Amino acid sequence: MNFVFFLMVAISMIVLTIISPDSAFGVMLSGARKSIELALSLFAIYSIWLSILEIMDKIGLNKQLNKLFKPINKRLFKGESDKALEYISLNLSANLLGMGSAATPMGIKAIESMSDGSEKASDNMALLMVINATSIQLVPATVIGMRLAAGSASASDIILPSLIATAVSTVCGVILSKLCAAISKKLRKYKPQSSAKLNEKDNTLPLASIGKKSKDVSCKAPLYHARGGDK
Amino acid sequence: MSKYILPVFIIGVIIVGFIKKVPVYDSFVSGVRQSMDLLISILPYFCTILIAVELFSLSGLNKYLEKLLEPVFTALGIPSQLCELLIIRPLSGNGSIALLQSLYLEHGADSYIARCASVIVGASETTFYIATVYFSTVKAHKLRYAIPVSLIASYVGAVVACIVCRYI
Repeated sequence: MNFVFFLMVAISMIVLTIISPDSAFGVMLSGARKSIELALSLFAIYSIWLSILEIMDKIGLNKQLNKLFKPINKRLFKGESDKALEYISLNLSANLLGMGSAATPMGIKAIESMSDGSEKASDNMALLMVINATSIQLVPATVIGMRLAAGSASASDIILPSLIATAVSTVCGVILSKLCAAISKKLRKYKPQSSAKLNEKDNTLPLASIGKKSKDVSCKAPLYHARGGDK
Repeated sequence: MSKYILPVFIIGVIIVGFIKKVPVYDSFVSGVRQSMDLLISILPYFCTILIAVELFSLSGLNKYLEKLLEPVFTALGIPSQLCELLIIRPLSGNGSIALLQSLYLEHGADSYIARCASVIVGASETTFYIATVYFSTVKAHKLRYAIPVSLIASYVGAVVACIVCRYI
């Protein structure tokens, strides 16, 4: 992410400065302004969905949805807790129904409950992101509405092609991420200095464990402050 | 039909909640509070990524990338009119909707180009938005293979979309 961001910003800035130096700062500012507008509208949407989610949780709807998705989820997301699986099935069903705005807060909660505090995304987190990024929507309602408005004679004839395209991309994404997960697992086995090995051999590698502990402390401190600030 | 799903679902949840003696009012207050916390943790990432996207699209860099990638896309069977859409799609949801609209105006809503574009937009997501927002509340910021895999899979979907639209 750091590298991609650097490339995008650095090259764009250089190009902008050459073409029209006056506008370079204004463009950055308009990007920031857009983020606030968008964030406020997202705040409104998330407020409603997180409230509904809270009620759904209390009436036990989440558990029932979880049961429905369990046969698939158990295989795809091996070793996740029940709570995480619950959020994952909520996220997936919201996506299937085309409620993208509801899917996002549930996806965030799913990632939160999958997290073990490490700085690297786990294979299951990556998989959830890939499934979301390849979209699993059954009916692309927004696009159909736009086509209708543009005067299409058969606006819904894109449903079947979309279904095929999204199925292919999602299956492809799942296979690729499983493949990447398997490859990185193998690489970890061969690399003696990888983090996985260090965790296992904490006792025999005192230096490494000291390094790890100091890192933990430095990571926890700001987190604690942030939590305190919230209350 | 589909326009009833959302309101009926929400009514159902609230009524069942009321019958099961769930404090509906308190649940909404707590939901909004969670949303506020979420907003605070998302906004820094959001702002950063949008600055980059804005710079990227207004500096004309996306046009260069488009020219660079055009031979690759056309070799895969994707019409050259859709290159811009394919580059904007993973970066900006609003941007790709606006682009789709202009493709409708330019080619007509029932043309092959417009149909392909509709399927591409309908069958994909704003990958970079998902990558930043989903991981904004946890410490995991090294996404490893997640972004390249998502992009490759989405582009495979786009190629399939262009093939399928030709026959269906």
